Amino acid sequence: MSSPNDIKKGIVINYEGGLWVVVDFQRVSPGKGSSFVRTRMKNLQTGKMVEFNFKSAESITFEDVQYLKMQYLFNDGNFYTFMDNTSYDQVSIDKESIGDDVKYLKDGLEVTVAMHDGAALTIQVPKKIAYTIIYTEPAVKGDTASGNVTKEAELDNGLKVRVPIFINQGESVVINTESGEYVERVSK
Amino acid sequence: MPSKEQIALERQKLNQIIRRFFSDRGFVEVETPIVVQSPGMEPNLCPFETFVIEPNGTQYKAGLITSPEYSMKKLLGLGMQKIFTLTKVFRNEEELGGSHNPEFTMLEWYFQGADYQMCMDETQALVEVCAQEFGASLPIFDRKRVRDLFLEYTDVDLNKANSQMLRDACQRLSIHVVSTDTESDLFYRLFLARVEPQFSSGSIFVYDYPSYQAALSKLTADGVYGQRFELYVNGLELCNGFTELTDAKEQKKRFEEEAQERIQSQKTIFPIDETLLRLLPSVQQPSYGNALGVDRLHMVITGRASIKDVLLFPASTLFTNKI
Repeated sequence: MSSPNDIKKGIVINYEGGLWVVVDFQRVSPGKGSSFVRTRMKNLQTGKMVEFNFKSAESITFEDVQYLKMQYLFNDGNFYTFMDNTSYDQVSIDKESIGDDVKYLKDGLEVTVAMHDGAALTIQVPKKIAYTIIYTEPAVKGDTASGNVTKEAELDNGLKVRVPIFINQGESVVINTESGEYVERVSK
Repeated sequence: MPSKEQIALERQKLNQIIRRFFSDRGFVEVETPIVVQSPGMEPNLCPFETFVIEPNGTQYKAGLITSPEYSMKKLLGLGMQKIFTLTKVFRNEEELGGSHNPEFTMLEWYFQGADYQMCMDETQALVEVCAQEFGASLPIFDRKRVRDLFLEYTDVDLNKANSQMLRDACQRLSIHVVSTDTESDLFYRLFLARVEPQFSSGSIFVYDYPSYQAALSKLTADGVYGQRFELYVNGLELCNGFTELTDAKEQKKRFEEEAQERIQSQKTIFPIDETLLRLLPSVQQPSYGNALGVDRLHMVITGRASIKDVLLFPASTLFTNKI
């Protein structure tokens, strides 16, 4: 038996005979009394999405999940396809099950795919990913003085982030996928 | 994403608005200690723990405050009438991100001789002034009793409901329960699943919580509810206010109950603040107090969805090496 405090994205919970994969979760505490884990999860048989609140003190059962390194290949707008580089097996996962991390995907990115009974459930993206900047305005003299220490940059997968003004178009930068923020410039 | 400079300028302006608001109304700004012997007893909260050490090696167990409440109430007991503070508070074992950060800025204010209804008026005026100065338009403010919200969304009458009735209601509404759920747990399961989602758009004061969720508040005349309120703006919980409990005996009883709950959940117990208990009876009846998250207020008036967009150094970027 496990504790709801160990709930993570991609974990599979066995609840009353049904298998549910966690898509999103958040801990909540009332002003007084027990704390809870608000969990958005998807039924593996029916695809039904529900919100469940587990009390931190209750015990729940996790199913064995296999985590495989796979490479992102392409998407058709609804389904995202990944490939295992050793077996060349391909799996597809729907956009909803991937959740917010979908915006970090780019060609060839290595991700961790959560597998259960041969089915791909969801992915975990690396904490730090490097991207190339395909568009950003050049820095203008005086920007620092007027307080514009960052500027918007468009990355090679279409994602837009704030970067420091000294970063130029064509350079590579590392983005933290937990905070969505610029971390550092990739030195050549 | 806003630049660091933009965040800094906004926060400076927000702090100035808050300070002007309270000094115009005759409140005195006070500074309260952050490292204390009794950092808070709430069963849910995990204070950061440390030691105060003298040069000769004498050690004192200490913690960082989860709220400046105890110090503020001592100042009331010593005769200060209207006080406010802007301070950092610390809560461990909370999420790094979303609407949480392990250290955050709290605005607390207290007024001797006024009750929580007046506090709601004052809170609304403050939030409205802040929004106005930032050019933000917030939804129109509404006030609802917890009892009325439960009648509307769960069909449960909290005037009469006992544990079994709350459990039946969870069953009827297909809400997951476990056999060890207390009355307070069952109440909160209904609240989380059916009531709180109704606040996702709007500015709403929710008040008169059942006595088992009364925390440090005075009870209503019928003894069923605590004179406690929370304000939600567009789904975000901004503050928690009370008509304060000034009965030292009752306060001691609640501290002891909370210590028991902390023992059961294997949390550290800190000594009861005896100075607070001694000064509490000198606090006038009624007196109100309110604790408001400044970072969240900053989010609300700038329309930002994440706390990292109102902080210069969000904890999620500071702590990267997992043990």
